[in-house]
Amino acid sequence: MNVARRAPIAAALVFGASLLLSVRSAPAWCLAVALASVVWRVLVASGRVSPPRRIPGVRFLLGAVTAAMVVAVFASFSTLNGLAAGTALLVVMGALKLLESRSRRDDAIVIGVALFLLLAAGLGGQALLRIPLYLLTLWGACAAIALVAHDVPQFTTRAALKLAARALLMAIPLAAVCFAFFPRIAGQFWALEAGAGATTGLSDEMSPGSIGTLATEYEPAFRARFEGALPPRAALYWRGPVLNSFDGFTWRRENFPQYEAERPEMAGEPVRYRITLEPTDQPWLFALDTVAASPRRDVYLNRDSMLIAPNPIITTTSYDAVSHLRTRSNTMLSAGGRSYETRLPPDRNPRARALALEMRARAASDAQYAQAVLDWFRDNGLEYTLEPGTTSVDSVDTTLFDSKRGFCGHFASAYATLMRAAGVPARIVTGYLGGEWNPVGGYLLVRQSEAHAWTEIWLEGRGWVRIDPTAVVAPERLQRGVFDLLADSLPATSVALHRSALLNRLRQFWDGADQWWQENVVEFNLRAQFNLLEKLGIGEPGWQHLGWAFAIGLLAWISWVALTLRRSVGRGRPDRITRAWLRATRKLERVAPARQANEGPMDYARRVGSLRPEIAATFAALAQRYARLRFGPVAAAAEIAALERDARRFRP
Amino acid sequence: MNATAKAARGTWRRGLRRKAAAWARRRQGEDRLPVAVLTRRIYILPTRGGYAFAALLFVMLVAGLNYGNSIALLITFLLAGFALIAMHLCHRNLAGTVARSIATADGFAGEHGRLSITLENTADTPRIGLECALDDAERVTLSIPVDATARAELPVPLEKRGRVRIDRIKLSCAFPFGLFRAWTWLHLPLSLLAWPPPRGQREPPPEAATGGTAPSIHRAGDEEWAGLREFREGDSPRQVAWGAYARGRGLLVKTYQSPAAHQRTFDFASVPGADVEQRLEQLAAWIVAAHARGERFGLKIGGQEVLPASGSEHRARCLNGLALYGSGEPW
Repeated sequence: MNVARRAPIAAALVFGASLLLSVRSAPAWCLAVALASVVWRVLVASGRVSPPRRIPGVRFLLGAVTAAMVVAVFASFSTLNGLAAGTALLVVMGALKLLESRSRRDDAIVIGVALFLLLAAGLGGQALLRIPLYLLTLWGACAAIALVAHDVPQFTTRAALKLAARALLMAIPLAAVCFAFFPRIAGQFWALEAGAGATTGLSDEMSPGSIGTLATEYEPAFRARFEGALPPRAALYWRGPVLNSFDGFTWRRENFPQYEAERPEMAGEPVRYRITLEPTDQPWLFALDTVAASPRRDVYLNRDSMLIAPNPIITTTSYDAVSHLRTRSNTMLSAGGRSYETRLPPDRNPRARALALEMRARAASDAQYAQAVLDWFRDNGLEYTLEPGTTSVDSVDTTLFDSKRGFCGHFASAYATLMRAAGVPARIVTGYLGGEWNPVGGYLLVRQSEAHAWTEIWLEGRGWVRIDPTAVVAPERLQRGVFDLLADSLPATSVALHRSALLNRLRQFWDGADQWWQENVVEFNLRAQFNLLEKLGIGEPGWQHLGWAFAIGLLAWISWVALTLRRSVGRGRPDRITRAWLRATRKLERVAPARQANEGPMDYARRVGSLRPEIAATFAALAQRYARLRFGPVAAAAEIAALERDARRFRP
Repeated sequence: MNATAKAARGTWRRGLRRKAAAWARRRQGEDRLPVAVLTRRIYILPTRGGYAFAALLFVMLVAGLNYGNSIALLITFLLAGFALIAMHLCHRNLAGTVARSIATADGFAGEHGRLSITLENTADTPRIGLECALDDAERVTLSIPVDATARAELPVPLEKRGRVRIDRIKLSCAFPFGLFRAWTWLHLPLSLLAWPPPRGQREPPPEAATGGTAPSIHRAGDEEWAGLREFREGDSPRQVAWGAYARGRGLLVKTYQSPAAHQRTFDFASVPGADVEQRLEQLAAWIVAAHARGERFGLKIGGQEVLPASGSEHRARCLNGLALYGSGEPW
């Protein structure tokens, strides 16, 4: 390939690679524009398309296009501050730069934009799976930097790739030292606006069937690592959004508390665990029923025992939580609370309301009534299925009396309605039930498919009590995941994938590696740095210890690099012939003028001879011998020895 | 930035560079061929691209620290290590080069002389993208395979008649990533002559016929080659034919004689005019013209005389005389 063509092609390709990394965050039209300009640039640079002639006013045109693009980005994000908006802006700018690039400097700028896109991709996604892509892009960018800097044919593309790989490999120890000891800061200087990433997961409302759509999602919701033993599976109710408001079809969460309530007392042994939550784009955190306290100062534990973060979770987040599987409460629910938690739309689900009134009349207490309704659920042929069919606006009536089919959400909604209709305070809790134990990583993996909904009712003297009507309809759900239970309703391939023991093992292994990466690399922060120093034997680590460790690591790396690279440094030591000649001329310079740099040995001998006739013949002979050895065809060893002897004996 | 500020910054930069060069000259002393470019004498600084790269790294670092994002920090640290390795590689690409020999060609003032420098690669990797320049003049790029030599031809601007000294030759490289430039200065005793440019419309002086001379070992006016004879006591070693001696033919001396021919002598004193430079230019024009016609000519200037002869060497000798007129230097 023509060496002058390499630089623009390399720069364009690196930019193209960085576009791949931005697929999740940049809008499709940006990527399409950028990809088109990459292709165009490669075609022009490789000579397949002739470059455009300079059109007068093209700069203004490009300026106008740039302004239009910025406006378009602003229009799609209504900000330029967010990560996604910034990425889109970089993509657009890089694409325009490609269109107008003519010089090496332009190519270098395109590589710089690609590196920024790589950074943005790193800020957006830190999963282990993406790391190889990042490294490949980094490698390509480094090689492209070399190709842009040098267009000599002796420097092949292959050599550039090799040098870049070598430089990056040698940089790894430094990166490790910096990573471990370069002092991190605890807070943020400024915050980016939340990204508009599409995430799956629970929302703050629940309609019939909305939980069911999650059942086919195999993505992890969070992972939990327990300090002690894993609690029994039937107790693994992970509480998420609590929904208090029902319109007959959809349950919703109301953000503002309508009544005062006291927190329950914790009973029994605490369960300690650490949760690593995948981004949800929602503010709530999940915790085992019932969480004792807020895990972080900025997380709010509300009256519904929900954990609410100040901002939506847009990056993988970890927190330590403590829960108790049993609670008790002797407090009374206020009148306001009771009426708030028994609200029902007066004109919806008439049959269910009638049933509730009739059954409540027969029961002696709220508790007996709750049990009677559970029995009714068990005995009336309700079917647990992922495909309950559609419901009318009176969704509870449809579920209980017409179709008699439902998923967890249908049963929870129906149960809560029956409770409220009889004046028993009830609410819906959504979250996850169970999880898959990963023996490789030693943690519980909770997937979106484990999404679940259940009810909590208020019983005098016991407080809020968890009742899961699904557990009555389909008791096996407590022990097994949805994937096992309702395999028939799921796509055959995904079921086959999850039934294969080998694949399961591989998946667990990969997930374990990913989790290790998450815990030890992605979440490595100032506290982890201090922990590391403690492990290295420093009693009370502080900033100065970090500084010292960093300096020592840096010095060690620099010495290692210097030693490694010095081994092959050319010494420039003159050979024997030149050494002998230099020895003689140095002696001569004490009594005669020095040789001019552009003066040949014979010319010099002639000049010295005219000034110092007494040594003329000796020196001329020496110069002659040197010239013959230096510039002659073959230098015989005996001749070299003779020259050395002459030089040694030379006495000017 | 306005033009004045730019110019001021340029001057300031040039001044700084001159100071650095003078410091290096004092530190290194005068060099002598062959010059081995060892690590001790190599200086290195980031290029403009290198500074831009550093700025990029800084932004990445701040972003990584701000968001406590491990991957952004890892990428930043990897790139920082890469840049430091790039510095070492650049430094190493220059080390081990040896300036083996230098040849020069004089020229007319206002034109360019030529300096050709032969570089040898004594390292075990190819030297790529070496750049050779006189101070900050135009750079000549060359690459040298392992155990090989390469020659760079540098144009030397000859501004004014006389001796043009070359204070230093700058040997540099920005290989492999263009983030750093490593350089070394070679301080060699080097100079070129700038001949007066051949200009002037006057007619040359008339020709005069002269007789030939007997063969003599003296070559006062560059007579033509007349053969070799045995070395006798008292002969100057300058006339010894060392080439023949080297081939084992014993000590012989070269003899010369001038044949009978038409010839003329250009005399500085007889060129009319008041301006010395113009008169020298006229002489140069005559010499160039006479040489082009293959004529024999002599030169009388500043109390020295070059007897009539012909040939390129003679022409150069006469022009050298013109170049050094008034400098007091022997020629």
